[in-house]
Amino acid sequence: MFNRVLRVTSKIKKGSDLFVIGGYIFSIIYAVLIILPLYFVIVSAFKNNSQIILTPLALPTALNFSKFIQAQTNVHLLRAGLISAGITSGAEVLTLLLAFPAAYAVARIQTRLSTLVESIFSLGFLIPGLAILMPIYMMTAKAGLLYHPIALVILYPAFNLPLSMILLSGFMRKLPHELEESAVMDGGNVLQIIIYIFFPLCAPGILTVLVLEFIGIWNEYLFALILMDSDNRTIQLALALLRANQRTVDFGLIAAGVVISMIPVYVVFIFFQDKIMSGMLAGAVKE
Amino acid sequence: MIHSEKKIPIERRIFSNAEYGRHNARRRRVTFIFLVAPALVWFLSFMLWPLLNMFYISTTSWDSLNVPKKFIFLDNFVRMFHDPKVAIGLHNTGIYLLAGILGVIPFAFMLGFFLSLRKPGYRVLRTIFFSPAMLSIAALAMIFLGVYRPDGMLNTFLNAIGLPGLTRVWLGNQATALGALIAIDIWGGIGFNSVLFFAALANLPEELYEAAMLDGAGYWTIMWKIAFPLMTDFIGLVTILQFLGILSGAAYQILLTGGGPGTATFTLGYYLYDQAFLSHRLGYSQALGVMVFIIGIVVIVLIRRTTSRFTA
Repeated sequence: MFNRVLRVTSKIKKGSDLFVIGGYIFSIIYAVLIILPLYFVIVSAFKNNSQIILTPLALPTALNFSKFIQAQTNVHLLRAGLISAGITSGAEVLTLLLAFPAAYAVARIQTRLSTLVESIFSLGFLIPGLAILMPIYMMTAKAGLLYHPIALVILYPAFNLPLSMILLSGFMRKLPHELEESAVMDGGNVLQIIIYIFFPLCAPGILTVLVLEFIGIWNEYLFALILMDSDNRTIQLALALLRANQRTVDFGLIAAGVVISMIPVYVVFIFFQDKIMSGMLAGAVKE
Repeated sequence: MIHSEKKIPIERRIFSNAEYGRHNARRRRVTFIFLVAPALVWFLSFMLWPLLNMFYISTTSWDSLNVPKKFIFLDNFVRMFHDPKVAIGLHNTGIYLLAGILGVIPFAFMLGFFLSLRKPGYRVLRTIFFSPAMLSIAALAMIFLGVYRPDGMLNTFLNAIGLPGLTRVWLGNQATALGALIAIDIWGGIGFNSVLFFAALANLPEELYEAAMLDGAGYWTIMWKIAFPLMTDFIGLVTILQFLGILSGAAYQILLTGGGPGTATFTLGYYLYDQAFLSHRLGYSQALGVMVFIIGIVVIVLIRRTTSRFTA
């Protein structure tokens, strides 16, 4: 084995060192290009406007939180954050209530209907949000829910169902079939099987769904823009408003808003990086 | 059949499908529908019903929510063909798509292949490459506002390296505004898609590479002769996702340029938004929505055809 590896590596050495060096150069240049604007926005949040323009990449001379306070007083970022958090948790719970039993049915009950149901849900990937924005606006108005956060709590699960179903049913398919059989022997019905056996066993899959949905909803802009007003603005609307409210660009203020709005998502990203990547890949592949 | 049911062990009644005939299949189906119905109703009401509504509204003339709509059948579509703004929108959307796909997919594939070799540091690189995908569209717009504005990061940088001749008002200049928006998509898109490619390539069996290496092939050859042909389906998929995202995107225009300066960043998606929410021509806006939807479907089919031909 070891000999084989040696033989292989000695063969690659010749042409491929160049490839690896090129790969590193390319990767590092790109990594710098990614980091620069992010670094720029973070340091800008702690500077005054002349510092931002004259020395955009210098570290801030002092930890100056005045822009954060100003952003808070201008557009009530914290209140917007709380509204976003409320909408997100409501929509997450609703998504799970809807998607979990359905995913169980698709994954574990053998009928020809499951292919049909799966293909109906996969249509969701083809529907452009922008195209249904207007009809949804009208539905919301008719239901009397315009400018009410409940509207988003109801809508976001619908958008997230296709991906949630794919991830959850994919997870459930891998579980052994004996699970249900022994439960039925003990006299359990389907709902009990789902609640007491599958729900705890699927915790990792559920976590992936929750994390991905959190990022999607926290970051959603277009539907919130159309369906909410200034009393119920989400964090993204508040961020955009920081810019719209000013005649000349006060970039430090905007940067402070960007930093605050990013923090929750990046915290989640740090902890669940692998889940996010594999979840997004599964979504792409199944589409 | 009904009498013999009692003799069958209970677990079989629900889960076997071989010898258990119609009665059991029906029971399963009822359970299935009971479990799927809430999600299905939700999805149909808030995704498919609005989509059908879009088709219906596109056949009406409707200028405000307070005015009754008038059925005009295909007039909106006829008007679309004579509308110079549709031509401009198609043109800009075409450029956006071409640059946004060609500027992202090849680089993402190569970077993803490089990551999949798992050379030292690949984890850090992967995290950095993926991090722009965590930014909201509003945050991206605001960050790049700081980069592109007249005394922003980009111009300061150009001045600092002694190229003041290249400085521009990037978002306010007809020649550069569209490119500036596309660059935001490329900036984050390469990284996000490279991680998708990395994950997909990681699923390939290692022996494939080993065999080629024994034949003396270098990484460059392996990337194009082995990884690429195996990835054509996946490349098609990633292209479709990238395509759909750009086709129905309007957020940067809403947040940054308003479709301008002039018509420089006026895309089909932004026209749709403008007609629906700024100009209040609801019927016409939904006709544009139908066009966007159909273009999307047609291109998806074309991409699928192309990639499956490659695979075959």
